[in-house]
Amino acid sequence: MRKMAFLALLAALFALAVPQVFAAGAEKVLTLGVDQEVIGLDPNIVTSFSSHRRVDLLYNKLVRHNENLEIVPDLAADIDIPDNVTYIFNLRKGVKFHNGQEMTADDVVFSLNRILDPKTASPGRSYLTTVKSIDKLSPYSVKVVLTAPLASFLEGLASNNCAIVSKAAVEQYGNLQKVEVGTGPFMLKEWVPDNSMTLVKNPDYFEKGAPYLDKVIFRIIPEQASLLAGVKSGTLDMATINDGSTIMLAKRDPNLVVMQKPGVNVRTFGFNVTHKPFDDERVRQAISLAIDRTEVVTVAEFGMGSPTGPIPVSATQWALPLSKIPYSTPDYAKAKALLAQAGYPNGFTFSIVTANSYEGGLSVAQVIQNQLKKIGVNAELDVVEWGIYIDRWVKRTFDGMVELRGGSSEPDRFLYRMIHSTGGVNNFMFKDAEVDALLDKGRALTKVSDRKPIYDQLQIALATKAPIIFLYAPFETTVLNKSVKGFKQVGNGSLYYLTYAQK
Amino acid sequence: MGRYIVRRLLSLIPVLLGVSIIVFFLVRLIPGSALQMYLGTQVETTPEQMEELKRIFGEDKPVPVLYVEWLGRVVKGDFGYSLRTSREVLPDILARLPLSIEITIFALILALVIGIPMGVLSAIKQHPITDVFIRIAGLLGLSLPQFWLASLMVIAFSNLRGWIPMGNYVSFLAAPFQNLKMLFFPSLAIGIGLAAVIMRYTRNSMLEVMQMDYIRTAKAKGLKKRVVIIRHALRNAILPVITVAGFNTGYLLGGAIVIEEVFALPGMGRLALYAIYQRDYPLIQGIVLLIAAMFVLVNLITDLIYASVDPRIRLDEKAR
Repeated sequence: MRKMAFLALLAALFALAVPQVFAAGAEKVLTLGVDQEVIGLDPNIVTSFSSHRRVDLLYNKLVRHNENLEIVPDLAADIDIPDNVTYIFNLRKGVKFHNGQEMTADDVVFSLNRILDPKTASPGRSYLTTVKSIDKLSPYSVKVVLTAPLASFLEGLASNNCAIVSKAAVEQYGNLQKVEVGTGPFMLKEWVPDNSMTLVKNPDYFEKGAPYLDKVIFRIIPEQASLLAGVKSGTLDMATINDGSTIMLAKRDPNLVVMQKPGVNVRTFGFNVTHKPFDDERVRQAISLAIDRTEVVTVAEFGMGSPTGPIPVSATQWALPLSKIPYSTPDYAKAKALLAQAGYPNGFTFSIVTANSYEGGLSVAQVIQNQLKKIGVNAELDVVEWGIYIDRWVKRTFDGMVELRGGSSEPDRFLYRMIHSTGGVNNFMFKDAEVDALLDKGRALTKVSDRKPIYDQLQIALATKAPIIFLYAPFETTVLNKSVKGFKQVGNGSLYYLTYAQK
Repeated sequence: MGRYIVRRLLSLIPVLLGVSIIVFFLVRLIPGSALQMYLGTQVETTPEQMEELKRIFGEDKPVPVLYVEWLGRVVKGDFGYSLRTSREVLPDILARLPLSIEITIFALILALVIGIPMGVLSAIKQHPITDVFIRIAGLLGLSLPQFWLASLMVIAFSNLRGWIPMGNYVSFLAAPFQNLKMLFFPSLAIGIGLAAVIMRYTRNSMLEVMQMDYIRTAKAKGLKKRVVIIRHALRNAILPVITVAGFNTGYLLGGAIVIEEVFALPGMGRLALYAIYQRDYPLIQGIVLLIAAMFVLVNLITDLIYASVDPRIRLDEKAR
């Protein structure tokens, strides 16, 4: 009797296990761990980095970045540029939205107008500032005319905020924060907020054969150590990890693959140049000479970053080598001399606003604090909570601030808004006629060969005037199980190459 | 008794009203706003866009007006929409509630099952070595940081399939065995600290009670040791333990933030934490109101249990 019961129990357990085994073989599922939940899914509206990475898989844009951050066609099969203010986008035919409707010029015109409409409050609007008119020429072509040449126009269109959405869907749902109607390689199947999101393959994706995975499941796991534990144990196939010490542990595991690429984000240490003594250029230069960027990367990021000047090193077309950037290598004697000239022979005290999150860069601030002691400058760390950090940023109530700036391989898109006197994210209160002139000139020209000398001059000018000290570009890191093939790390953190991933 | 319960439940109204006023105005004193968090430091906006955003985020009216408007909607059951996710606040909070309740109950059971027997064993001092050992264990349980314990568990046990949640949480109703498996370690991480507290309260209380005359009487009557301890001593000693357990339950129902973060569990603690980080006012208000209501209810239940265990307690003021 007992033996029967035991056998029955065994059989029941076996029966439970067997379907699992069969189910696993049929579908190709990839599970990915991330540490932040998306905040909304409407591509034209989202601001958070986590949302950007997600909508990248659900929607397409007119153009996109490839793994080398070059602009390549996406929904626009090709682009005619008859003069430097006119762009004619010839769309791919037969591309379907996830609701079955075909993507046409009407959707493109609608999307671009939606982005420009102040009522949408789209972050993408600032990338399309000089757009004068948007016209449908035929069901598959759209003409956009600008009021003035804008060199970063295509780069702006490659942003997820400029994704093409379905006119019918927006008219039906109002906004796309909770529903998804894109043309992208994956479709939203299920969303359990703060827990998981399941995407399934778009069988009608315009790239034949792709994607190869049937399902991608995003799991929200806030702790970096837990993410690594998940990949190690096989519960996760891959995870995006940004904590240096955790990445070091991952590198030691022979069963894991660590993909790293220099990113386009730049770690900066900037000043409110209206606060004494930072209104004096010599003081800013002195501090720039006291900071050893290599040491900052080694200590704060375990060496996983590239010291950089005003243009991130991954923008290989534009970035000057560090050797050509003034005030970027330590020279303590010169720094002290500059301080003395400015009237601070014995140094001074000031405070650095920082936050204990990855973006807030507390460890970076601590290294800087240490390094500045060598020239007699005493930096006090004002460590605040993230929300307060943003508040201080908005209100400009800081002497110095460590930031992580979202960058771009297109210098106009990255630098104009940051240091032009009218720039929307110029929290440094920096106004300089020479810098303004260079920026205005650089964005009005379109040929790289014309623009390069201007941006070379700009990098040197910025390093000399030093309202911001550009430190390094952190690596973008993904940790994968060896079984995942075909994925490529992109410098801007995009996960688009999941389209080509296989297990 | 019925009147007493009704009276306690009615006290919910002034409590919740007071809590709502405090939280509404208090969170808006914190520097930063949901709109600022949304824009972050990377987004440029035009003045027209800012106007529209302020309207969307409810920053275009004075705070008392906003409070009255919000209260008017709340009494109709409309808790508004999250500024962060645009989703309705109340369903999202209620969706998290079962997990928080489950962890609370699970942790409490573990804590009582471990703590009470250890406390009793330690108090009756059968073997002095046992007493010392148990007291050291209790001290460890109190001193081990929950965060550290939880992280260790994740690292050590992540190879055991299904025992460490990895963003794959399922509810009890959907899959009971999977659910219990993945909540075991999180509940244990909380339960260990709670067990230590309960152990100490039980031990101290038992030591006091064992000195009482009625215990000596019971022993003199010739009752078996086990009957004396459990039926007479423990029953009296348990009263402070009920109070401690009740208080901790109310506290845990608010969500064990650290545990939820480390174990990636979508509980109310994490929701509250992110809501505060993002200054998601409607969500913060909804969660705080709900937690306040639960606290009042748990206190009521604790008092009722207390009265049922100790016949000397009279909750009704009238009976004299």
